[in-house]
Formats: sequence, structure tokens, C-alpha cells
Amino acid sequence: MNGAAPSTQRREHRVIEAFVRLSHELVDDYDVTDLLSTLTGSCVDLLDVSSAGLLLADHQGVLHLVASSSETTHHLEVFQLQRNEGPCLDCFASGERVTVTGHADMARRWPEFARAAELLGFETVHAVPMRLRDQVLGALGLFGTDAGQLDDADIALAQALVHVACVAIVNEESASDRTLVNAQLQRALSSRVVLEQAKGVISAAANLEMETAFTVLRRYARDHGARLADVADDVVHRRLHHDSLLAHARATAVLPT
Amino acid sequence: MTASLQVIRAELHAAIRNVAPGRAAVDELCLACVALLDVDGAAVSTVHQGAPQWTFGCSDESSRRLDEHQFTFGEGPCIDAVATRRPVLVPDLRAAQGGRWPVFAEAALADGVHGVFALPIAVASRPVGALDLFRVDPGPLQRDALAGAVVAADLAARSLLHLLTSGALNRDHDRDQDQDQDIHSTSAVADDPALGEPDASGAPGRVGRRRTGDAMDVNRVEVYQATGILIYQLDVAPGEAVLRLRAHAMATGRSVSEVAFDIIDRRLSLRRDGREGRTDEGRGTE
Repeated sequence: MNGAAPSTQRREHRVIEAFVRLSHELVDDYDVTDLLSTLTGSCVDLLDVSSAGLLLADHQGVLHLVASSSETTHHLEVFQLQRNEGPCLDCFASGERVTVTGHADMARRWPEFARAAELLGFETVHAVPMRLRDQVLGALGLFGTDAGQLDDADIALAQALVHVACVAIVNEESASDRTLVNAQLQRALSSRVVLEQAKGVISAAANLEMETAFTVLRRYARDHGARLADVADDVVHRRLHHDSLLAHARATAVLPT
Repeated sequence: MTASLQVIRAELHAAIRNVAPGRAAVDELCLACVALLDVDGAAVSTVHQGAPQWTFGCSDESSRRLDEHQFTFGEGPCIDAVATRRPVLVPDLRAAQGGRWPVFAEAALADGVHGVFALPIAVASRPVGALDLFRVDPGPLQRDALAGAVVAADLAARSLLHLLTSGALNRDHDRDQDQDQDIHSTSAVADDPALGEPDASGAPGRVGRRRTGDAMDVNRVEVYQATGILIYQLDVAPGEAVLRLRAHAMATGRSVSEVAFDIIDRRLSLRRDGREGRTDEGRGTE
């Protein structure tokens, strides 16, 4: 017990840091897309999982990925698959947390998802619901490569992070208005579409991996005090030339000169 | 000679600009298809209980009759297009006669129609109808005409959606919604050998992409990314890029997702002139 104390303290420190960072970001004119990305990254750091993704339901109840700790295409596919089957879909449908350990169990419950998860080496999955009052808006998926389960404290932390995401997406004053909530969800979903398109533009323009293209976009947005979603939209509609972003990425050592 | 896609798109939009969504708008759209897409007839049918059941709008009476033939006999490109959620492109019915649709082919050929092109019409990935294009002369739809047909199908979707929401088909609509999950996870895959086929390559990044449930589903991460790549490569607006992607998928009989992955993995590049090019001859795309 004593032996675990220093690492527990370190983690508590990191948890506090993460929430302080998130609370800073939540002030004023915050950037939802960037914040949700940060948040899924925090999940990976704090919960000892290898991948985290946040899925939101559209007005038809179809799940879409809004943020992920990894930007590579095949990582995104694991989350995207949840549209058809998987722990996040079950979690969203039931509103209850879903935990699965071991590949046999995964394969029995969701064969197609298990196939994708196996390719990426995922052994455990946890899905935590994102709730707003009596409504389930989506789910956070946490995938790990070892068979260890998250303990109660981990799950409580995951639930807290999901709640921050919910607050970030849905403005508190509008939480009782279903139409407004839907509009805000839709905006988060649309931002993701445009972000993926912008990643495509940047990756094609400089022959970069999607992950790097994302970093280029994020770096430019942050350094110019702009929202990631706005920068992505400008790139996609060619109001902002990709060369400007690439030049900035080289100047800030995101890309080699 | 087909008009350029920009002209086709503008004209299709113009055709229904001042017409309220509904039957009249679909008729106008069908007439515009005949004027712009190098076809001689067009008809739009609506889906009821999972299959096309009646002709909603058309360019002329003989197109309506041919469209309806398919429901009467339970066979035809339009039925298949809705069932597979993929376009069914038949440049020459004589080649298909006695095979896929013996009764329909005979009726069409008797009318002097050789080419039939059926595109599923979807609202939020759910099939709600089909656009049938008929042509007297045999031969494939040119690329811009095909892309134009995709635009026309999208425009028709608005009128069909209006029909759905106005109550005429609501009962059916609700039931289909309940079954949507099943449709997505099983039938569309099971019915379509190309979709159900195991992925032999097993390469990362290709995980599960054949299980999309809807071959023309564009609401996917890889499709968004590939759209971005095309925005850059073809120097076009996002809408145009999506259209090019869908048109290529239709022309090659593959899902939009498959084409998207080929673009992302640099196995395929679409050229500015509309013809496809390959970046790696060693890895074929067809």
C-alpha cells in the first residue's frame, strides 16, 4: 500500500492538472473540437488505456466520432464501427457502462468489432455513457492493450471527464431545450467532418500522415488564437492556403524545415 | 456530348428552383435529366416496405410505364439498386437479357430502350426511392452524366423526404426506422457479395470497411479525409469533391469507403480531367 503511494500521488497531481487545464479552456470563447481532443488525450494519460474516443449520437441516434486520442485512420475506424455494433453502441443504447475483458468475450458479443480491436491489439474495452439529465448523448470508449480492468476510481475519473465533455459541448443554459441541445451536438459533429476534410487537404499537400496533418492544423489554430474548427473550415474552403499552415508548422518545428 | 458537371449541376438546381418539393418538382427534375444527361427518359420511384413500389414522377409516360414494369414483375435495375443500395448501371440490356431481368429486359427492348441506369435515392442512408434513367442507344453513362445523375438523385431525395414527412408514408417510415439497425448490420451485407467478402489483405487501415452496411454511405471518417485529399488534388470545393468520390465509386461498382481508402493510401488518384489515374500500378483498384 505504501509502495503505491508515490505513483498515486503523481497521478492525483496529473488529474488535477488535467482538470485545471480543461477548466481554463472552458472559459470564454473555447474551441470545442480542440478541447475534446485534449480530453481524449487526458483519458489515455490518466487511465492507462491506449486509445480513447468520444462518440455522439446524431438526431437519428446514429453514433459519430467527435474526438479521438489518435488521429490515424484505422484507429478512427474502431470507433466508427460502433455505428453498427460494439461496446459504445450498447452503452449508448442502455445508458449503462459496458466493460469487457478478453478477446473471447469481445468476439462473442461483437464479432466485427472484435476483429478490428484484435488488429489493433485491444484486450479490454470500457464504454462510459455521456448523459445530460435523462438523456444519453453518446459514449466514451476506452480501449486498452493489456487485460487489466479499470478500478472504481478510474471509472469515476472517466465519468468526470465525460461530464466535462458534456458541459463543453452543451451550453448549460440550453440544457433543458432539446432543440438547442441537438443543434449544439450537430455543430460538434459537423466540426469533426470539416476537421477530417482539412486533415485530408494538409496530408495531400505535403504528403503527411493524418496524425501529423492534425498537429499542423492544431498548431496553427492555437498560435493564431483561432478555433480549430474555423481554421479547418477555412482550409477546406480554400480561404486559407495550406502553404500558410505548412510554413507555420516548419517555423514551429512541427515539420522539419 | 454531355454538358460539364458544373453546367449540369446548375441546370438541375435551376429546374426545381421555383417548384415546391413534391410530384411536380420530381417531374421537372426528370425532364432536366433527359435534357442534360444524354438519356431519353427518367423516372423516380418511391420505396415502400423496403422495395420500390410506385412511380412518383417521370419525364414522360413511356418512362413511367417502364419504371412500373419493374414493380409489376418484381425485377429490374431499380429493384436491385434499392436492395443493394448501389447504383445498377446497364449500358446494354441485350447483354443482360435472359439473365438478371428477363421480363423487364424484354419490355424495355420492345420500347426500343437499351441502356438503363438506376440510382438509389437515400435520406440519411435510408433508401427512400430510386432514379431510373433510360436510353435508346446502348453505351455507358459518361462520367459527368453519372455525377449529374448523383446530383439529381440527391435533389429528388428532398421531394421524397417531403413526401415522407408529409404523412403519406409515415407508417412505413417508422417501421423502417425500427429495423434500421438490422438493415445496417445484416441484410445489406449478406445480400451483397462484394460487401460480405472477407478482406483478404488484412492490412491495417482496412479494418471492417466492407461492413459499412451502405455502399454509398459518405458519412464516414475515411470519406471525409479522402474528400479533403480531392479538394487539394482536383482543386475543387468540398461538395464537388464528395461528388467525384461517389461518381467514381458508382462507375467502378465499389463502395465509397473502399474508394476513399484507396485515395488515402495513395493507391488511387482522380485526375482533374475526371479520368482516374493510379499512383501504384502494382496494386490494382478494380
